[in-house]
This record gives sequence, structure tokens and C-alpha cells, in this order.
Amino acid sequence: MELFIIKRDGSKEVFSVDKIKNAIAKAFLSVGSFATQDVLCNILCRVSIRDGISVEEIQNQVEVALMAEKYYAVAKSYMLYRQRHAEDREVTEKLNFMMDYCNAANAATGSKFDSNANVENKNMATLIGELPKSNFIRLNRRLLTDRIKDMYGKELADKYVELLENHFIYKNDETSLANYCASITMYPWLIGGTSSIGGNSKAPGNLKSFCGGFINMVFMVSSMLSGACATPEFLMYMNYFIGLEFGNDYYQNADKVVDLSKKQRTLDKVITDYFEQIVYSINQPTGARNFQAVFWNISYYDRFYFESLFEHFVFPDGNKPHWESLSWLQKRFMKWFNRERTRSVLTFPVETMALLTENNEPKDKEWGDFAAEMYSEGHSFFTYLSDNADSLSSCCRLRNEITDNGFSYTLGAGGVSTGSKSVLTINLNRCIQYAVKGGMPYQVFLEDLVDKAHKIQAAYNENLKNMQSKGMLPLFDAGYINMGRQYLTIGVNGLVEAAEFLGIEINDNPDYEKFVQQILGLIEKYNKKYRTPELMFNCEMIPAENVGIKHAKWDREAGYKVNRDCYNSYFYKVEDDSLNLIEKFRLHGRRYIEHLTGGSALHLNLSEHLSKEQYWQLLKVAAQEGCNYFTFNIPNTVCNDCGHIDKRMISECPVCKSKNLDYLTRIIGYMKRVSNFSQARQQEASKRHYAKVS
Amino acid sequence: MLKYLSFDIVFQEVPDEVTLAINISGCPNRCKGCHSPYLMEDIGEALNEEALANLLGRYTNAITCVCFMGGDSEPGSVEQLSLFVRESSNRRLRTAWYSGKNNLPSGCSPESFDYIKLGPYVEELGGLDSPVTNQHFYKIEDGKMKDQTEAFTKKMRQFEFEDVCAV
Repeated sequence: MELFIIKRDGSKEVFSVDKIKNAIAKAFLSVGSFATQDVLCNILCRVSIRDGISVEEIQNQVEVALMAEKYYAVAKSYMLYRQRHAEDREVTEKLNFMMDYCNAANAATGSKFDSNANVENKNMATLIGELPKSNFIRLNRRLLTDRIKDMYGKELADKYVELLENHFIYKNDETSLANYCASITMYPWLIGGTSSIGGNSKAPGNLKSFCGGFINMVFMVSSMLSGACATPEFLMYMNYFIGLEFGNDYYQNADKVVDLSKKQRTLDKVITDYFEQIVYSINQPTGARNFQAVFWNISYYDRFYFESLFEHFVFPDGNKPHWESLSWLQKRFMKWFNRERTRSVLTFPVETMALLTENNEPKDKEWGDFAAEMYSEGHSFFTYLSDNADSLSSCCRLRNEITDNGFSYTLGAGGVSTGSKSVLTINLNRCIQYAVKGGMPYQVFLEDLVDKAHKIQAAYNENLKNMQSKGMLPLFDAGYINMGRQYLTIGVNGLVEAAEFLGIEINDNPDYEKFVQQILGLIEKYNKKYRTPELMFNCEMIPAENVGIKHAKWDREAGYKVNRDCYNSYFYKVEDDSLNLIEKFRLHGRRYIEHLTGGSALHLNLSEHLSKEQYWQLLKVAAQEGCNYFTFNIPNTVCNDCGHIDKRMISECPVCKSKNLDYLTRIIGYMKRVSNFSQARQQEASKRHYAKVS
Repeated sequence: MLKYLSFDIVFQEVPDEVTLAINISGCPNRCKGCHSPYLMEDIGEALNEEALANLLGRYTNAITCVCFMGGDSEPGSVEQLSLFVRESSNRRLRTAWYSGKNNLPSGCSPESFDYIKLGPYVEELGGLDSPVTNQHFYKIEDGKMKDQTEAFTKKMRQFEFEDVCAV
């Protein structure tokens, strides 16, 4: 019978004893010795070959055999030889990866470790960012396993790697060393400029230095985070500086010429020129972030949120924030940005409007009305609703309970500072299918895993504190973000898929509600159990730009039931056209999101824009159902030939009649061209059900 | 007896309303090129006050309008159901009727509805969003039928932007 061995590339080859003999003979020669037939026979007697054995296994046996026969010098030489080849192979692998990347259709498809559509083009700079990613993963794993070993013992450290390698859990952003994302307070910058975080700019003193300095500050902060940077006070500060120069009633004189140069600009034009400078600068690819733009978020507030967040706020000169002018400036920015997006593809800022609700509708009628107006004009932004101003969301991952509405003369408003230090995601589909197949109650398996996930996150926190003690985290030291106000996030992915596997229908029914409550409730139970004054946990349905695809692929390869190529980031099946819009709000309503303390965004996909009256009614529906975070997503059209951008989803360019079109839609939180998505995401986008409105 | 096959939440059929549209089967009109010919068959479940109350139970606070799509075989029943919707919602919900007939049946009063669409589907002339359509969409105000068909052809206009905010 012929024996086959498995080569490193996975191919099969007929086993040849001569090849082993040759390798051993060469090892003897390399130390100035010679292997006789007898010697070779003795060594080979210790090697047992079976069908399907791998090259690696054979070489391991040869090593052991050489040592057992006491040829220590030869064994050492053989091992070193193997090591050199392993290193060669690594370089070859990197080279191959490089060439594959260069040949890939776009940057997100080419990326092996952490694909992200937030990169327009592939080029030398993005490649340079891509290459060390595998080393970062190893480094991060080592840092964390060492710490887990210290805190909880070797068993948990080994278990962590095992869970990762078998895709029960996923460590988000393992390709970066920095902590995840933050919503910052800008007060330390307002007082002291950027020197406390390693920069050299002084505190902003006027509108011009505010706008220029703001851009630099956002770039600096973002380079020390692996994810998003939210500046929820951006417009409030800008409003303050405009007021300093033009008076708090400036908005009533916006049409006056204030620029005496030949341009004769009105105040409105001066303000929108600053918008332009800031927004276009921040949308540029950034060197320090592998040519990604910084992920920038801003917030708008209704009067009640504003009052609750900033009632005690005082600027260093003793001035208080001025609501009427800020209200105008917020509206002006939204109108300007919506218009500007027909001129250029602008991804950032991601905007969130916080509205307080009362009796199931926006309490501030003016701002509720304005939200409906902006949606009806085709603007795409998130709305955060709450019947109590005790929580806030400044980005998909930045929902927080406002425990401190106080004001400090060094740190500013307490409520805006939050973020996530680290995200560890549980692949629910894998966990539940694994448990059920093994004849184990999945609740028991999950509970044990959730417990471990919290320990792992606690270990991460210790590493972060260690970094801080070495002076590596100036954002914390300078007070831009606060260790105690940042969450450790337990992410979930594959929830819908797990429910499907259990035979539960994915719509609003008691079984599904019970399942969701049970799973997320379990995580919340442990979030509370592990909470200490310095450890806060939250739970989030992660947007999963690439994790959803990876999990689907890995689980399918491992023989699990996988119904789609990208796991959902919603409580419903993205391709399900039997669910109407109201049902989707319901599935992201209070009964389902109750335990999702870190938030999840409902993206309502529509094929056409609605009227203001209709959006107003849908705001009410969201408030009734308790759906606190959502946006409406109507793909915009970009003409690849003439560059025309249209807010509608159309099949022919109205300007040049071209049919060579691309569509802009939200991938997770932000708008990008569909052709920049990774290939699997493009398929998901094409399957998304855009509710017919006619 | 009226029967319905399905329902949906729609936005374009009745301007500015969030509408629960009920697709009534047994359509007696035999329009050439009909986009849902299966609705000509006598299929689905009974559409009576009880069925309607069930649907409203699930959606009443979420919607602003109920639209009866079809029902030309029993116009009197459609009118009764329309009045039932009004009554059971304390007149909060508006009602609409998409009829394939050219005129409102003699026994029916326009006042029983807030919106009425009339006219069969003629393939060459197209639906309400076609500029040459034969169909008409009316809003009922003070018992009078006001033609608002134009609202549908304007639908696909490009967005108009205000450049300056009102103070």
C-alpha cells in the first residue's frame, strides 16, 4: 500500500524514505560527521509513518530520534536548519501576501487581518500599514496571556488562546496596540493646548486658532486610539469662539459682510468656510493611521439634552454656553454638510442627534421637527432617543450612562467623557451549536465562557494601567479621557444565526424575545458581577464590518450551520423582506435591547426618501417602541463618469445619462462607496433588503 | 365577504402618511398588465371588523392611516370598514381607498374616507407616478374631493436645498 504524506501547502505526496535519509545524512555532514547505513537504520526505526502524516510531524519525530540515539550535536544542527527554513517560509508568506494585496481589487478585500472600507485606495502607505498586523496580533496575544497567567493562572491563559483559535471568541482590533475608542472632553485642550498630550500648540484663543488647532488635536488623539474619536462638544466650543468675536447674537446677523478683503464674505460664509476647512481636513487619509481617515464623531443636542449636559459648564473666561446661537450653529452645520455631500464623498463626521422624549415623542418640538426635516432632505445621521437625559450615545460604540453631570474646572463636562477600552466578542452561533452538538445545555457553556471573557478583559485593563504607569497614555493623564469612565466591552455576533439554529423564528415573537433576553441578560449579569470602581463593562451588538464575515467563513469551514456569508449586526435577518419597517423598530425596541448596555444601531434601509411628516411619525414609533439608536439609510448614487452625486438611489445619472454608477451606503456607522467594501461585504450590501416604499 | 391576502407598511401610496396597506383579494377589475394578478383570485382570510381590530392592535399607534387596496366587489363593506377604523381610533387614524373604478360607487360617500384613488390601471398610461396617468388621487376635505394626483409625479424631483437656516 502506498503511504501519502501531507506537505506544508496541504498537498499530498507519496511518502519517500530516501528523503528522510538524505536530510539526516546532511545533518551529520553539517557537523563534520557521517551517518552509516546502520546509524540511519537505528534512527529511522524510531520514526513511525502513517498515512496522512504531516511533514512537520515527521521532522518532530526525527528530532526526537536523533536525541534518543544520543546524536545531540546533529539534533541541534537539524533543529537550527528547520528554524532557518521556517523563517524563510515566513518571509515568503509575507512576500506572497504583499503580491496578493497589490493584486486585490480594493484595500478592504486585500487586507488579511482587519479589513476596513475606511480606506479609499490601496497604495504603498496602506501596504506599509498592513504588513506588521500579524506581528501586532502575536504581540497582543503574548501581552494578554502573560497577564492572564499572572492574575488567574496558566490554565485560563491557555484557554484564552484555545477559544480564540477555535473562534468561540474574537479579540477586536488585535492588530493595534492602542486602546479602542473614546469620546473626549476638550476642556484640557481649551485650557492648555496640546502640550499635555505631546504636541506643541497653545490653547486656542480665537476662532481661527480654534479651527486650526481642533484639526491637529483630533489627529493627535486619533493616533493614540485604534478606533473612533468623538468630540461631542465640537460645535459648542466653536459657537463659543464665534460668539467671542461676533457676539452671542451673531446668528441674527449672519448675512452681514464681515470680511473686508476683496472677497467681502458674509459671516455665514466665514463660518461655513471653517466647516469646510475642518471637515475636508479630517476626511484626509492619515499617515499615523495606515492611511485611514480618522474616525470622527460629533453630536447635536436638543435644548433639554443641552441643558442637562452643560447646565454647570463654564468656559475659562466665565462665560456660559449660549443655547440659542448653538441651536442655530448645529442646524447650520447639518444643512451645510448635507449639501456638501452632494459635492464630494465625505465620510466624517458621523453625526448623532440626541433627543429627549416625553409621551412617546420628541420633547423639544423644534428639534424633533428639524430632525424629520433633515431626514426628508436626504441627510443621513443617527438619532439617539431617551426619555431621560441620563444616557447618551456619541457613536455606535459610545453609549454611556451619564453618572456625572457635574462640571470641573480642569476636565469640563463630566457627561461627555466615555468610550471603550477594548472589545472582546463572543461568537454566539459557534458557542451555541458547539454546546448543543456536544449534548450540553448551551446556557451552561455560555455562562462559563462569559465568565472567562470578563476575566480576560480585566487582565487587559491591568495591561492598560501598566502602560499608563509608564507614561504611555497621555490622553488619560491629561484628562481627555478617563480610565474609570471607559468601558470594557463584551461584543456579541451571530445572535440571529444562533437563534435560527435553535429553530427560533426571527421576528417579534415570545420565543425569540425570551432567547435574546436570556443571552444578553446573562452577559449583563456578569457585567455587574465584575464591576468595581475601576472596571465597568457593557455589552454591544458589534457592527462587525469584517468579524461577521470571518465568523461565517470559519464556522462554515468547521462544519457548523451557517445561513449567510456575513453574520447580522441587527436583531433581524438583513435579507428578510417579510418584516415591515415597524417590525424592525420593534425588534430593536426596549424588549430586545434592554440588556444591550453598549448600544446597537438600527439601520433602516429604504429605497426612497420619505416626507418630513412621515419621518416625524417614525420618530414617534421609535420612541413608542423604545428603539433608542437608529438611522435611515437610502443609498446615494455617485456617477463614475461625471462625478455627480445624487441623494436618490437611481439607475441612470440625471446629468450625463451614464449607467456606470456607484452607490454610497452605510457600512457600519459611516457612509462609503459600496465598491470600497470588501468583496464579501459587497455581497451582503447587495442582499440587504431596502424596504420598498411604493 | 371581503378577503385579504397580505398587509404592509407603506409610504408612497398616501403622501405624508405612515400607512397600513391591506391587500384585498377577489378583485373584479381585470386590468391588463396588473402588477398583482393573484389578487383577482378569491383567496386569503376574511376581512371583517374582527380581523381589522387585530391588525390595528398590532399597529395602531405606529401608523397614521389605513389604506384598503381594492375591494371593488363590495364597496359597501369597504366603506363600513373605513368607518370602523375611524371610530375605533377616535378619528385619529385616517383612511384611504385604492379603487380600480372610474367613479365612486353611487351608494358610497366620499366623506367616509380621507383619501381616495380612482381609475383602473391602463398599461400604456401607467400608475399614479406617470405624467400621463388616467388615475386620480383625491384628498377629501369638507366632503369635497380635491385632486392631488400631481403630488405623485413630483415625487422623483431632485432635492432642493436651503442654503441658509431660518433664524
